[in-house]
Amino acid sequence: MDQKFLDLIKEALEIEDREPQMEDAFKEYNEWDSLSQLTLIAELDDQFGVTVTSDELKGIITLQELLDQVKKAQG
Amino acid sequence: MHQTSPFSLTGKTILITGASSGIGRACAVACAKQGARVLALGRDRERLQETLDLCGSDQVHGALSLDLGDGEAIGEVLIFLKEHAPIHGFVHAAGVSPTIPFKVMKPKQWEEAFQLNVFSAVQIMQLLTKVGIKSADGMSMVLISSVMSEVGEKGKSLYAMTKSALIGLVKSLALEYADKQIRFNAISPSVVNSPLSEKSLYRNNEAALQQVLDQHPLGLGEGSDVAHAAVYLLSNASRWVTGTNMVVDGGYLAR
Ligand SMILES: NC(=O)c1ccc[n+]([C@@H]2O[C@H](COP(=O)([O-])OP(=O)(O)OC[C@H]3O[C@@H](n4cnc5c(N)ncnc54)[C@H](OP(=O)(O)O)[C@@H]3O)[C@@H](O)[C@H]2O)c1
Repeated sequence: MDQKFLDLIKEALEIEDREPQMEDAFKEYNEWDSLSQLTLIAELDDQFGVTVTSDELKGIITLQELLDQVKKAQG
Repeated sequence: MHQTSPFSLTGKTILITGASSGIGRACAVACAKQGARVLALGRDRERLQETLDLCGSDQVHGALSLDLGDGEAIGEVLIFLKEHAPIHGFVHAAGVSPTIPFKVMKPKQWEEAFQLNVFSAVQIMQLLTKVGIKSADGMSMVLISSVMSEVGEKGKSLYAMTKSALIGLVKSLALEYADKQIRFNAISPSVVNSPLSEKSLYRNNEAALQQVLDQHPLGLGEGSDVAHAAVYLLSNASRWVTGTNMVVDGGYLAR
């Protein structure tokens, strides 16, 4: 699941030149903006069947925390 | 002898979608002020009634609560129109403004946006142009488009497609119906204070909001700014105007 998640991050944020790491504070990426946030939310819904709201995203810093949230939402 | 102003809507019956909120409500109030009888269409009954209350009691106005997202239900409008015919004007202000990144846009989302923003107007205008519904003196149809029919914005490709479709629609219909004295025009507003623009992404980001404000030399608009343009297009003052897109944008497109 971790690899699928990281692939999703690369695709959603269109990261072409590096591999995202779990400890990355992804909102500091150059690729992060209001639109990539909407893309990420839609992709998480599509591929993992979970709804992560923009409010929930506010409290999440690293990719690991985001993945934990996805797993929690999946139950 | 008392001369009626060419801008007056006295004696006219005007159907307005989206009349329960924002620009549509402002159009309803402005039309009533110019003497029209208003037929208000929306979903929320309470807010439709509030609109009728704002329209005053000089005329017997009417309201119909209907989900325009359901193409099959729009036939119901015909019964309503028959009760109130002849109809002299139409304003299509019902609409949604989705912000969806292109790569995750889904068929369901574009079907919904096109149904409400475009096809519901098409369906209603097919009913309005029927013999027995349209006024024998002609008619004026006003479709609320957007400056996004002319310029782009990130995340707005779906919205822009629906709003551009309206511009194409009015041009061909203007020609098809000119000999029947039915005029078709669009209005393209930029940002107008309303519940819809309150939901925009830039409202959560001070820098982005400032940028939007800077793009409007005359400041953001109010529903009435668009409604006054609609009154002109509905009135006899615009009898020689058809197939146009009237930009009402506080100077947004001037640069
Ligand atoms: N505000 C702006 O900055 C702006 C700028 C350019 C263009 N526009 C366009 O102007 C139009 C009006 O916008 P607004 O700002 O007045 O928006 P608004 O305040 O959100 O009002 C939208 C209206 O559409 C109606 N509506 C929505 N879904 C419907 C459905 N499924 N069936 C029937 N009615 C439905 C709503 O009725 P209920 O509330 O009863 O459901 C409401 O009356 C839209 O087409 C918009 O694209 C707005």
